[in-house]
Amino acid sequence: MPKRIVDWLDLRLGIRDILEQNLTKYLLPRNINIWYTLGAVLLTLFALQFATGILLLIYYQPSPQEAFSSVQRIMNEIPYGWLLRNLHAVGSNLIVAVLLLHMLSALFMGSYKRPRELTWVSGFLLLNLSLGLCLTGYLLPWSQLSFWATTIATDAAGAIPLLGADLVGFLRGGTAVGEDTLGRFFALHVMGFPLLFGLLVAFHLFCVRRTGVSKPPFGPDYTPPKEHDRFHHEHHPGGIPFFPHYMAKEAGVISFFLALLVAITFFAPGLFIPPTANIPADPFVTPPGIKPEWYFLWAYQVLKIFPSELMGLAVQVVAMTLLALLPFIDRSPERRPARRPLFVALFICGIAIFVGLSIWGYFS
Amino acid sequence: MGSRRLFLTTALGAIGAVLAFAAGWPVWRYLSPMEEPGEEERIALDREDVPLGVAHFFRFRGQPAVVLQSSPGVYYAFSAICTHLGCIVQWLPEQREFLCPCHAGRFSPDGRVLSGPPPRPLDSLPVTVVDNRLLIG
Repeated sequence: MPKRIVDWLDLRLGIRDILEQNLTKYLLPRNINIWYTLGAVLLTLFALQFATGILLLIYYQPSPQEAFSSVQRIMNEIPYGWLLRNLHAVGSNLIVAVLLLHMLSALFMGSYKRPRELTWVSGFLLLNLSLGLCLTGYLLPWSQLSFWATTIATDAAGAIPLLGADLVGFLRGGTAVGEDTLGRFFALHVMGFPLLFGLLVAFHLFCVRRTGVSKPPFGPDYTPPKEHDRFHHEHHPGGIPFFPHYMAKEAGVISFFLALLVAITFFAPGLFIPPTANIPADPFVTPPGIKPEWYFLWAYQVLKIFPSELMGLAVQVVAMTLLALLPFIDRSPERRPARRPLFVALFICGIAIFVGLSIWGYFS
Repeated sequence: MGSRRLFLTTALGAIGAVLAFAAGWPVWRYLSPMEEPGEEERIALDREDVPLGVAHFFRFRGQPAVVLQSSPGVYYAFSAICTHLGCIVQWLPEQREFLCPCHAGRFSPDGRVLSGPPPRPLDSLPVTVVDNRLLIG
């Protein structure tokens, strides 16, 4: 039966040719490692977020009067609502962790370098868009945590000279977080950002496929690829086929992350849902010790340690800009970590600063 | 197909089916309608709410229903859902009949079909008068 379906489609669309070119005859480097599979893991996790998000939309009510109670209803009354909501919440955290690993692996292996600058920049934008999705989604349950975390996050924009106050008002849709903030965050979370995200993912994948997968810069056989003046697709003659060899590897890593997602959802669902997330928002009472999610703790602590909020914000902007423009700054073709001691030292320092600031932010 | 390949295909298919069920069942339950009040649910109304010749509409077991005092002390209660295609009937006090606005089905005060496409009478509900109250269901 499957053969007859493929025959039918092949006659009309030449589908066998497409499948061969992209699966069985699409060859990848023989020494490809599991770090390359993180993109597929992210696609899977994002698909799951999309599915659980649509399901949550069925019962969620985006108004200050109804939002909190509708989420409580999903958690306590709708069959398996708790499962879908926890999968969505835990999934978002897992996605940020995998995005960071994906970015770190691209950094360590120098995959961002020419001719893959556009892949890097689109990936960097995807990371930021994902953080935007996290931020906008955080407000939707309209809990004390949501309300005050959003108040603090949007307030940070007020440090920008001249534009600050207007920008805060624009982000919130008013002087304080309220009904209009919820409306615009909801629209961005369920429609605006996902649309942009879909387009960017398509572009990112197009870049990966069009340029070809970079060879891992390890082993005695590795030599830096020649620089070309014209477009050049990096082929890997004698490599392993995308299907079934590489897809089996991907399936294994995806299964691992799905198992992790399910394990946290079932055994530690409160890991990402602190007690203040279970109290309805009260604009007149700020609860003590409001902290952002773990992936924003570094930014939170940077704002705290600098004498002025503007300086803290400027440091963050500089750090993120440097990261975005890295392929245009680090232009040497060398990708082997052992031959890039300065970069590897900075790489390790960068991770240490991120982790250190996050821990400091958590305990401060 | 070799026995090894057959075994692996079958095993993978079985695992896939179990996983598909594990993922599909919660989604099915999540999307299924919430349980309505049980079949045993009864509604109590004040007799004053249903004067002579007036139809009183109310929600019964999650669906629209109507109770009517057709003559002094005689009450009829029905599901207000037309038996043709599910529209909600209206009470026309001057004609003393129910009319379905979708396809002009007409029903008498006791629920019988007078004309139009409805295939059967309105579904009746038991009404009991206790003191000054009407117990329906």
